[in-house]
Amino acid sequence: MEENKDNIDSMPETPPKKHNRFVQYFIDLGARIKGWFVDKYTAVKDFFVGLFQKKPKEELVPEGPQLSRGEKIRRGLKSQSGWLFVAPALILMAVFTFYPIIAAFINSFKQGYSGMTGRFNGWGFDNFVRVLKGDTGTGGANFVQCLVNTLVLTFISVPLSTLLALLISVALNSIKKVQKAYQTILFLPYLTNALAMGAVFATFFKIIGTASNTETVGIVNIILGWFGIDPVDWVGLNSPHWQIGSLSIPWAKYIVAIIYEIWSGLPFKILILFSAMQSINKQYYDAAKVDGASRWTILWHITAPMIMPQISYLLVTGIMGGMKQYSAIVGLFGVTMGQDYDMGTMVGYLYNYIELGQTGYAFAGSLMLFIIIMIITWINNKVTKKRTTYR
Amino acid sequence: MKISIQHLTKIFPSRTKGGKAVHAVEDMNIEIPSGQLVGLLGPSGCGKSTTLFMLSGLESPSSGKIFFDDQDVTTLAAEKRGIGLVFQNYALYPHMTVEQNIRFPLDNMRIKKEEGNARALDAARLVQIEDLMARKPHELSGGQQQRVAIARALVKMPNVLLLDEPLSNLDARLRLQTREEIKRIQRTTGITTVFVTHDQEEAMSICDTMVVMKLGVVQQIGAPQDIYDDPNNLFVANFLGTPPINIFKGRIEGGKVYIGDEVITRTSFDDREVFVGIRPEGFIYDRAGVFTLNVDHIEVMGRDKSVVSTHESSTKPTVRCIIDSDVALPPDAEKLKFNIKPYKLFLFDAETEERLR
Repeated sequence: MEENKDNIDSMPETPPKKHNRFVQYFIDLGARIKGWFVDKYTAVKDFFVGLFQKKPKEELVPEGPQLSRGEKIRRGLKSQSGWLFVAPALILMAVFTFYPIIAAFINSFKQGYSGMTGRFNGWGFDNFVRVLKGDTGTGGANFVQCLVNTLVLTFISVPLSTLLALLISVALNSIKKVQKAYQTILFLPYLTNALAMGAVFATFFKIIGTASNTETVGIVNIILGWFGIDPVDWVGLNSPHWQIGSLSIPWAKYIVAIIYEIWSGLPFKILILFSAMQSINKQYYDAAKVDGASRWTILWHITAPMIMPQISYLLVTGIMGGMKQYSAIVGLFGVTMGQDYDMGTMVGYLYNYIELGQTGYAFAGSLMLFIIIMIITWINNKVTKKRTTYR
Repeated sequence: MKISIQHLTKIFPSRTKGGKAVHAVEDMNIEIPSGQLVGLLGPSGCGKSTTLFMLSGLESPSSGKIFFDDQDVTTLAAEKRGIGLVFQNYALYPHMTVEQNIRFPLDNMRIKKEEGNARALDAARLVQIEDLMARKPHELSGGQQQRVAIARALVKMPNVLLLDEPLSNLDARLRLQTREEIKRIQRTTGITTVFVTHDQEEAMSICDTMVVMKLGVVQQIGAPQDIYDDPNNLFVANFLGTPPINIFKGRIEGGKVYIGDEVITRTSFDDREVFVGIRPEGFIYDRAGVFTLNVDHIEVMGRDKSVVSTHESSTKPTVRCIIDSDVALPPDAEKLKFNIKPYKLFLFDAETEERLR
């Protein structure tokens, strides 16, 4: 410390021009910025000069301190070039994913928030309370109804569709002749637009007319008619439902939506499971055969455990996707998502309130959806981890 | 259980159009007495594994018949033959514990839990893995996995135990240990056992009966020592023995066997070109010997020494003679003379490569 003081004292005295601290700060800042640019300019110049100079090979690996600045930058860039490559994605994610998530989180606590002006009345949990109570005062979708719908549709359709995909994959795996053709046919729904498929499905289940005077046009009711079952208004205004308090359980619409979800989810699941099955070593099946295992035993004790990582992947992603379903419901039941949003989903709820200009409710809803998905995924991981970590 | 294989043939159709069909096994006839340990021996692609899989029922023969005792099992499904099969890479189910793996065949036979547990434990004890029952296969060493695979094959008390290259995935030390283990297990259980190997040493050391195969055709069947001492043809002579037999081009002229200009021995066969096979241990050093070799170097093994030399008529780059270590050899000798033990010398026809008998 002594020496330092001496050094400072012994420096030649330049009469400094006195500024006040505020001005001085900007002057210093300007000098620093200029210095930075000059520094980088020389460095870049070194870099390009170095680029066009051919160096003998031994000189490429000199000791650290002897490196020219250009060389240092070249190496630095090389070692850090990974960042450069992910930068575009990172920037896009920051703008379109991270910022919105944080903004939604903050804004959900603003009471009476207006998306247009950004004004709000104060902070608090008012949005959440109103959303949960269904007391939004706008005639929009009901949060609890949407949550129940989403959970019911997801937790029935995803396991069923995965199970069905497993069985179909096994069947597909055991045929040899027209395997490719079947594979193609089974994959077709994957290439089809959700809205278009929904519209076609809705037509299958359609019924025309009033409650007293109906005409059956949908193929499903025609087929049911062959068995002497009265036509059901599957997707229309008079669709049957059960009422539990303020909650409506439109079971007919549920059935339509679940069948649709299963069917549209199959191709991808079959693709994943089938390819996983093909990669199982044939020797396990030979061993099982010698050990006298039945087909059923082989399926449940050999095949299924062997592709458990893929099955659990499908369950996890399927459930996460199910929690976010929207377009299929719109395709089936129109933009009002059934009658007064009785088939509304969580994402449908968010869109509804964004449309109504009540973004505060949409924020609160999205935050709760996020938390629910997190919890479900956490449970999912806990459950599946046990069964998939044998390798 | 006695196994009898009659005119067994397996032809794999060609994969490409107009290609040649592969005759993996051709007209095989073997009788395997009950309770024996039989080795199918041959270089890769000789059809030994195919034979084993036909015995197991996983492959069906193109023609011919397989009998277990007096029952024709040729068309019987694998699970009904009462066989235990150990695969080359063991094929242990990775998601099951050792115990579950061993129990798997019993569960399929719908055997009661207590009995199943007891039998699984017995099988585990037999191969000495009873401490590892709760582990998963990936937590075991190769040798332990091998034992589990054998236990799984034994637990259902099979009539026949089949092993496909049981030792090929083990390191050298473990291989020695495990092959004795297999012999011990086979002795204790008394199960007729067939195993496949390409390693002649392995086969010779533990087999009761050895079946030497080449390109789907059985070359010779017999006890290991008998085959070694009395090979049917050049292939069998060449395939058995470490170090391998020395083969020389020679000829028979007027009752004398020549290698080069030297008369090695006398014979009653007619004049012809021959291959002369001499086992490495068939040389006796003698200053007045009949056969001269150009010595390259001498390797001392302790128990014996091996003279590595060359000869212009040899079909191999070097000739190896194994001599007792007490025999004093002249140091730095460039040429050494040897006499040949007559029972270690075999004559093969140069064209057919069949043994002259």
